[in-house]
Amino acid sequence: MAQVSGSRIVRRKLVNGFFVALTSLATLVAVGALVLILFSLFKNGIGGLHASVFTQDQPPPGEAGGLRNAIVGSLLMCGGAMVLAVVVGILAGTWLAEYGEGNRLAGVVRFLNDVLLSAPSILIGLFVYELLVRPFHGFSAYAGAVALALLATPVVTRTTEDILRLQPGALREAGMALGAGRGLVIRSIIWKASRTGLVTGGLLGFARISGETAPLLFTSLGNPFLSFQLGQPMAALPTTIFQFALSAYDDWRQLAWAGALIIAVAVLATNIIGRALARGSAHK
Amino acid sequence: MNFEQTATQQPTVMVAPDAAERVLDVRGLDFFYGKHQALHGVDLPVARGKITALIGPSGCGKSTLLRTLNRIYDLYPGQRAQGDIHFNGENVLAPGVDVTSLRARIGMVFQRPTPFPMSIYENIAFGVRLQRKVGRTEMDEIVERALGRAALWDEVKDKLHQSGLGLSGGQQQRLCVARGIAVEPEVLLLDEPASALDPLSTAKLETALLELKDSVTIVIVTHNLQQAARISDYTGFMLMGRLVEFRPSSDAFVKPETQAMRDYVTGRYG
Repeated sequence: MAQVSGSRIVRRKLVNGFFVALTSLATLVAVGALVLILFSLFKNGIGGLHASVFTQDQPPPGEAGGLRNAIVGSLLMCGGAMVLAVVVGILAGTWLAEYGEGNRLAGVVRFLNDVLLSAPSILIGLFVYELLVRPFHGFSAYAGAVALALLATPVVTRTTEDILRLQPGALREAGMALGAGRGLVIRSIIWKASRTGLVTGGLLGFARISGETAPLLFTSLGNPFLSFQLGQPMAALPTTIFQFALSAYDDWRQLAWAGALIIAVAVLATNIIGRALARGSAHK
Repeated sequence: MNFEQTATQQPTVMVAPDAAERVLDVRGLDFFYGKHQALHGVDLPVARGKITALIGPSGCGKSTLLRTLNRIYDLYPGQRAQGDIHFNGENVLAPGVDVTSLRARIGMVFQRPTPFPMSIYENIAFGVRLQRKVGRTEMDEIVERALGRAALWDEVKDKLHQSGLGLSGGQQQRLCVARGIAVEPEVLLLDEPASALDPLSTAKLETALLELKDSVTIVIVTHNLQQAARISDYTGFMLMGRLVEFRPSSDAFVKPETQAMRDYVTGRYG
């Protein structure tokens, strides 16, 4: 065995220590920022988080009230958007991954999807405004859901394609070798093998849209009252927070903090639940 | 020694089983990956109820040859085969062939275990259900018989409804064998099935294969010469996309006739 000189070992250890310190520092900065955000959210938001936040609608300035109309509106529009985004995104991602090999159209679709992935959300809002608000002469929850879906779909498409590509070719061949058609192999083997990733894609899409404000300002507008009418303007947490946070009233600003905390906790919780579900089903 | 010359200059040595015994008969097979020709006029007789081993250095075309037999290469545009592969009097390569029923009759096991993301039971039921409707009791019997023939039943009978992914590599590979034979194919193709397994798992797999050969014809690609010698009845040696020597294994390993196979078997190259 070759003798490694002492000075060389010392140098290696120094370099190693330097890079360990550097990566640790970078991690600390990233995690630190997250902790600071969560900390200030809790500090400012927890005080306004009463049961009435969930049971009462938004108040006029100076009166007691809650965020029920905004919470319901967000749930409805995000829910509708996610149904659209998951269906379209998983199908599009599957097509790209399974049938897009050497296909020029697939290359174009992939490029456009990447463009859409980084499109400013305000542009999406304006686009849907021109498409669904102006022609129908009114803001609506439908338009809001479509705008959010346009933002979430590319995320779901991209993760779906990436995840399906990770599945070994031999797994597809094994299904085909039993006489299964391509579609059946995808539906009953490839999707199943990828379900953790598919769930993650949906969660990423949800995380992307749950705090979006700009596209909703042009589409669902906002509504001070509780509404279930999808053809009418509808409140949403981000738009209400935007409105309240910019106001001059302390109680409105307090509600804005509470709303921000609700969004953050909701995103955190869906992530944790989704991951736990995916893990549980993978080990069954 | 020049590889290319060896492959092309020497005539093929072929001691083949009788035509009546052949379940598969490959004649003059050419195979192309796009413009690259990977097989050149390969003949391969496969005797019914025997184990045929394909050996040769990496890249010689033995896996390619195997992958033409059930037309699994169809999956990839740009790959094509020319020639004849007779299977029960039918040409496998003919355009009108129904690959679904072809693959039901010619099963395949891959280099890496490929259990489906479902329970052990469902892994086997999956292929059976593709062929026909089966009642619960009958399916239970099929699953038990397939696992038994693949020498896996005793190890998994108490956890049939747990995921196939929870098994060890060797068990997963035998599960794939069980899945392949559950649909009662006439031929089972194995592409280096033991290359990812430890010696003990390999031994169990080989035992299973030896017991299977009465009911299923087996074609196995292997890098392991001892394995080929241990379990196969016929051995084909390939080089540079050509079948160079094909003989009963009992003779082939004792006294290879071609210089190329002699060199390969004695470890001079490969």
